Order: sequence, then C-alpha cells, then structure tokens
Amino acid sequence: MSLLTVDNLTKRFGGVTALQNVSFNVEEGEIFGVMGANGAGKTTLFSVIAGNETPSTGQITFRGERIDRKRPDRICRRGIARTYQIVRPFAGMTVLENVMVGALFGAARERSGARARARALSILDAVGLQDRAQDPASALTLAGCKRLEVARALATGPRLLMLDEVLAGLTATEVAEALDMIRKLHREENLTLLVIEHVMGALMELCDRILVLHHGERIAEDRPQIVADDPAVIEAYLGTEQ
Amino acid sequence: MIETTASRLGVTASGLVLALALFALLPQFGSDYLIGIGLTLFMWIALTESWVVLSGMTGYISLGHAVFFGIGSYIAVLGWGVIPLWLSILLGGAGAGLVALIMGYPVLRVRGPYFVILTFGIAEFVKFCVVNVEAGLGKAGRLLFGAPSLETLYYIMIILAGLAIALTYWVRRSRFGTGLRAIRENEEAAETLGVPVARYKIAAFALSAVIPGMVGAVMVLRVTYFEPLQAFNPVVSFTIISMAIIGGSDDAPGPLLGAISLVVVSELLWSSFPQVYMIVLGVLLIGFVLWAPDGLYGRLTSLFRRRVS
Repeated sequence: MSLLTVDNLTKRFGGVTALQNVSFNVEEGEIFGVMGANGAGKTTLFSVIAGNETPSTGQITFRGERIDRKRPDRICRRGIARTYQIVRPFAGMTVLENVMVGALFGAARERSGARARARALSILDAVGLQDRAQDPASALTLAGCKRLEVARALATGPRLLMLDEVLAGLTATEVAEALDMIRKLHREENLTLLVIEHVMGALMELCDRILVLHHGERIAEDRPQIVADDPAVIEAYLGTEQ
Repeated sequence: MIETTASRLGVTASGLVLALALFALLPQFGSDYLIGIGLTLFMWIALTESWVVLSGMTGYISLGHAVFFGIGSYIAVLGWGVIPLWLSILLGGAGAGLVALIMGYPVLRVRGPYFVILTFGIAEFVKFCVVNVEAGLGKAGRLLFGAPSLETLYYIMIILAGLAIALTYWVRRSRFGTGLRAIRENEEAAETLGVPVARYKIAAFALSAVIPGMVGAVMVLRVTYFEPLQAFNPVVSFTIISMAIIGGSDDAPGPLLGAISLVVVSELLWSSFPQVYMIVLGVLLIGFVLWAPDGLYGRLTSLFRRRVS
C-alpha cells in the first residue's frame, strides 16, 4: 500500500480550475517531485493535501485513511507536514519557540516543554540554525526563514514532509547547502518527501520520480530522465517548434 | 544562564510576596480612602491580566470585556440574600465563562477589526437585554443592603488579582500559551503545525472571562447598587485596553505595570482635574501606540538589557 494516494483530485476556485483530475501515489521513503510552470497548481495541490483547502472532488488517502476534508491540525497529527513557499514565520517569537510549536503540537507532540525544547534544539542543529535559536524569527534572512520553515515542519515529527520551493530565492551556495540538508534529513529521519521546485536541475538530481502539472492537469509522471525527455513536458515548458 | 533566570525568578517572587504582604496589611493602618484605591488597583490588575490571556496571547483584541464584569455583577445581585457571598462570586465567574463560550463560537470566526467591533457590539447587546429585562421587571436599579465591609472586599480582590497574575504567568509558559501565541503570529501556519486553533481560541476567551465575572460580582457589592448601564459600562473595556497597551507585553508584568501607572495617574489627577485626566490618558495612549508599542514593560526590559551588555 502506498503512503499517500491522491485519486482524481479536482479543485476549483470559482470559475478557475486549479487542479483537474490529478491522481498519483507516493511510496514510503521516496522523494517525489512536483514540477510545473507558475500557476500549474503545485501549491494548491499541497494546500489541499495539508487540509488548508478542501478539494472540490476526489479523494486523498494517507496511511490507509481518508484525509480529504479533514482539518489541517488533524492532518498534521496524522503525520503530514508542509512548508510555505511564501514563508510564514511566527515573527514575534524566537527561532527556538517557532520550532517548539511544531514539537508541542505535531504528530510526535511532546507534552513536556523541556522535551519539546530539547527536540527543537536538535532540529535547529540539523538545519544549521543552532546559533540563531534565541534570535527573534523576524531577524532571519530569507534563506534563514526557509530553513526555519523546514525546521518547524520537521519538529512535528512527520512521516510525509512536503517542501514548497524551499530553494527559490536562494543563492547558488545556499541552494547547494539546502540540498545537502534535505538529503541528510531524508536519510537520517526516514522521511518521505514531496518536493515542489522551480530549480529544475535540483529537482532532477533529488527526486526518484517527478509529477509534471500543466494548467492543473497531470501531463507526465516518471523517473526524472524520462520526464525531461517527454515531448509533452518539453512542449509545456518551451512551447512547440514552429 | 539557567542560574541567572532562577535567581531572577527568586528575586521577582520574593518582591511579589513582600508587596502582597504590605498590601495585605494596608487595612491595619490605612484609611478607607487608601483601601478604596487599593481595591480599585487590584480590580484593574485582575481585569487587565485576564484580558491579556485572550487578547495579549492571541492578538484577538476584545473590546467587550465589560460584558463579563456586568454579568458577574448581575448574577451577584440576583443571588444577593439568597445564596452565600462566596457562591455568588463563583457563579459570577462561571456565568461569565459560559457566556464567553457561547459568544466565542460565532465571534472568533472573524479577525482583526471585525472581531473588535463584534465583541463591542455583543457587549452592548447584552447590556440592553439586561436593561430591558430589568425594565420589564419594573426595577429601575437595585439597592443592596448589608454588603460586606470594605476590608473584606479588598481581601477578596487581592486574591482575584493574585489569581489573574498567576493565570497569565502560567498560560504564557504553558503549551497552551505557546499555541495561542502561534495563533497570534500566523493562524494558518499554527493550524498547519497541529495547533487546534478553534478550540484554543474559545478556551482562551472563556478563561479570560471568568475572573472579570468574579470581579464584577465583588464590585457591585462595593457600590451597593446595581444599574445595568453602569454595570455594563463600556468604559471598563476601554480602560482595560488602555492599561494593557501602556503596560505592554503578553506576560504578567506588563498589565501589572499598566494598571499601577494608570491608577496612580488617575488618583493624582481625577479628584482635582477630571478633564485633565482624560486628556492625559489620550495623550499617553497615542504616545505609547506611536513610540512605544511594546509598552512600559518592553521599554524597561530593553533598557535593562542595554545596561547589561
């Protein structure tokens, strides 16, 4: 049985169809990429899976249980965590407190503040923010905020971690560092990853399989090399040859 | 670092105990006038600390806390001569908490200015319901005979203020309070990280209403007269917010500082220059919002930090 099954998912916003009959499976332990141009429906897909948006039609099954139409906090407690492409730090709290929210309330929630704090600190260590623990989150750079997004999501103790463009807006060195961090986390935390990325090369390098969305529809789903050579994908990205 | 925190905590705690002991002795040597000021001071401390549990922690600014005060007063008046004093105070708190639970369900679905206006509107609505019920019963105000002595009320109010301070202190450091502050900073992100936002907001609303209800029950015995327009006076809500803004912070010392400084200013000015008091209050509010949004507590802590480093 797959860890996550998305079945015929459609999401409409008024007259706009953001997702149209999208189906795919994510297997345990896999790094699964989602690719597509702006407005292809990638972030909407994450929002629907995480419960921030309710689907118009279709089903989502996670660990054998229907999760569509469940509240985001319930879905998080079942073991799905997401980051936000447009970062949403708790600006008025310290970096450590930000991560502690995830540790206190997520799937692996700690009732004791001391244990939550210890876990938050070790996660800050893993994402390279250990020196910033006591700083207000508002003092972080964009790269720092992206790391904080990952740290907070990780602190919930997810089985499935959804990363929404954590590399976008970073410099080349920062991208390399972040990629290392993601690989390390995947290896050490026994995570399944669902990754949205604009940086194509990074996605190709990172993922076992890639789903390509175009105007809300699935146009390809396969291993990176095959997807890259797919005429439909090339057409969607570069247009047809005249 | 842990040691310094612990020793600072020790200093703060012993200071608080000392202050409480001094205030507890006040009736032994102070005049009724002083005890009256003490009662007012502890009333505002209790109200503002409670308000902070909701509005300081979650950022949902309630402009309707007068309704809880009024409900407590009303329950105490209805129970006067029927049930013992301690029971009517407890019922005043429970009644206010219950109203907050019912009110919170619809009200906490809206945010920002809408929430502010809605809490104010509901408080006014409840006030006029009580006005009409009382008018229908043919009561134009109720007099209370045989109310307890000023000292008794003063001691009860000290306890309520102490409870409110402890409540804010505890919530601020609890898992619950961390969730509430996450809601304030970004509600959607908080929910995505597993915080049950709807439940938490309603719980905070109810928690922040209980002590104001009890305070209302005590204060109606102080004035020995119940009149709905006075018991549900929106100026109570405005004053709470002013104190919270001037004190600053979502932790226990902020509202404490705010309440103390405003009560002092009011005592200095109110008797001789009542108009000047309102002007000073306005100027203070504008000044703090513009130049010190973190309030007295925020200013003091940053001053302290600069000295140390």
